[in-house]
Amino acid sequence: MAKEYANPEVLVSTAWVAEHHADPNVRVIESDEDVLLYQMGHVPGAVKIDWHTDLQDQVVRDYIDKRRFAELCSSKGISNDTTVVFYGDKNNWWACYAFWVFKLYGHKDCRLMNGGRKRWEADGRAWSREPEPNYPRTSYVAGDPDLSIRAFQPEVLKHQQKGRPLVDVRSPGEYTGELLHMADYPQEGALRGGHIPGACNVPWSRSVNDDGTFKSPKELEKLYAGEAGLKRRAPVIAYCRIGERSSHTWFVLQYLLGFPKVKNYDGSWTEWGNTVGVPIEKGPGPKTTDLAASKSPETAESTS
Amino acid sequence: MSAVNERIDEIVGEFAELEPRERLELLLEFAEKLAPLPEHYRAQRDAGLNRVHECQTPVFLWVENQGGRVNIIADVAPEAPTVKGFVSILADIYHGAPAADVIAAPADIVQRFGLTEALGMVRMRGLQAISQHIRRRVAESIAN
Repeated sequence: MAKEYANPEVLVSTAWVAEHHADPNVRVIESDEDVLLYQMGHVPGAVKIDWHTDLQDQVVRDYIDKRRFAELCSSKGISNDTTVVFYGDKNNWWACYAFWVFKLYGHKDCRLMNGGRKRWEADGRAWSREPEPNYPRTSYVAGDPDLSIRAFQPEVLKHQQKGRPLVDVRSPGEYTGELLHMADYPQEGALRGGHIPGACNVPWSRSVNDDGTFKSPKELEKLYAGEAGLKRRAPVIAYCRIGERSSHTWFVLQYLLGFPKVKNYDGSWTEWGNTVGVPIEKGPGPKTTDLAASKSPETAESTS
Repeated sequence: MSAVNERIDEIVGEFAELEPRERLELLLEFAEKLAPLPEHYRAQRDAGLNRVHECQTPVFLWVENQGGRVNIIADVAPEAPTVKGFVSILADIYHGAPAADVIAAPADIVQRFGLTEALGMVRMRGLQAISQHIRRRVAESIAN
């Protein structure tokens, strides 16, 4: 069993951020579910990048394109060689999402502040209420999207038909298909409930401790390789409802456990569960992890 | 024009004067103004009663209806200031209003504050659900 994370340098502590946030080659980025949290207080010098209004195209269901990603980075004073450090609310789920988008466009040095806002607060570190800083503009050059970390539906379908591993990181209720039967539930909807056949269910939040930091390498190994039976070398696809909780699991598998071939299926259930004719399985799947073991309230995904 | 509609226009006006980024500051001010949950409702909240199930964020809501005038009592987790700010706006608008005026308030109230650009469509949908929930609860308070 692993004693250390596969890529320990990717996780930084709040102490590291407190020491380095003003370094000229470091840019701290806050990404939250709640759009007002940054205003209420942020890591001094941090900029804000919103998963929805900044990183998503507002017309087509997709991320911003390469040109706009470059523009976003330039406007936030981020250069190609800047060390970017993400953090946020909800156990860093949106921070992981932003991290993933930065990796999609080839940003080299991305880190995550372990524990996010929760841990910064718990460590008694100061919040800044200053307006977002304006850093000198850069001329960022974005790479072409790195499709080795992003899966589209046709690929997921082939992957499923070949019986390759899929991880459904939603809550057990969403996985079994019960949740869509709740009355008046206006979450990003899908017409059908259940999961992609063969997918195992490991709710994303099981990878974090109560203080928001990641579980130990040993615990993560036990959860994903042991309990869920994922094989390190096999290509794995993670999904959730819209692709953000699964970017958190993508981060865990790829960077903390060092799985070499992990993709995030960002279309996720809102695409799969609305697509005509694709296979769906309901109820507890064959490899469902112990449902009772998941107790975090932050397992479903809505922005309200 | 009902007092509800007048108050809506006032608040819409306050938001309209601001740049999109400043609107978030105003929303935060509303979040900070939401009255703390009265003591006598806390046991119910702690027992998980009156939770708004449309909303993933813990939001608890009570509608008081005294002599046909409503009062919205709410408790929203501090880590969800956007929802809290929005609930605070609605509680302000509906405070002491006749139930019929609340029910007759414009259905697109959520969209009127010029926040769509700053919040994005997905978050706006969540807020819309809360707004509808409040209206439904007010309607129930008449039926009861």
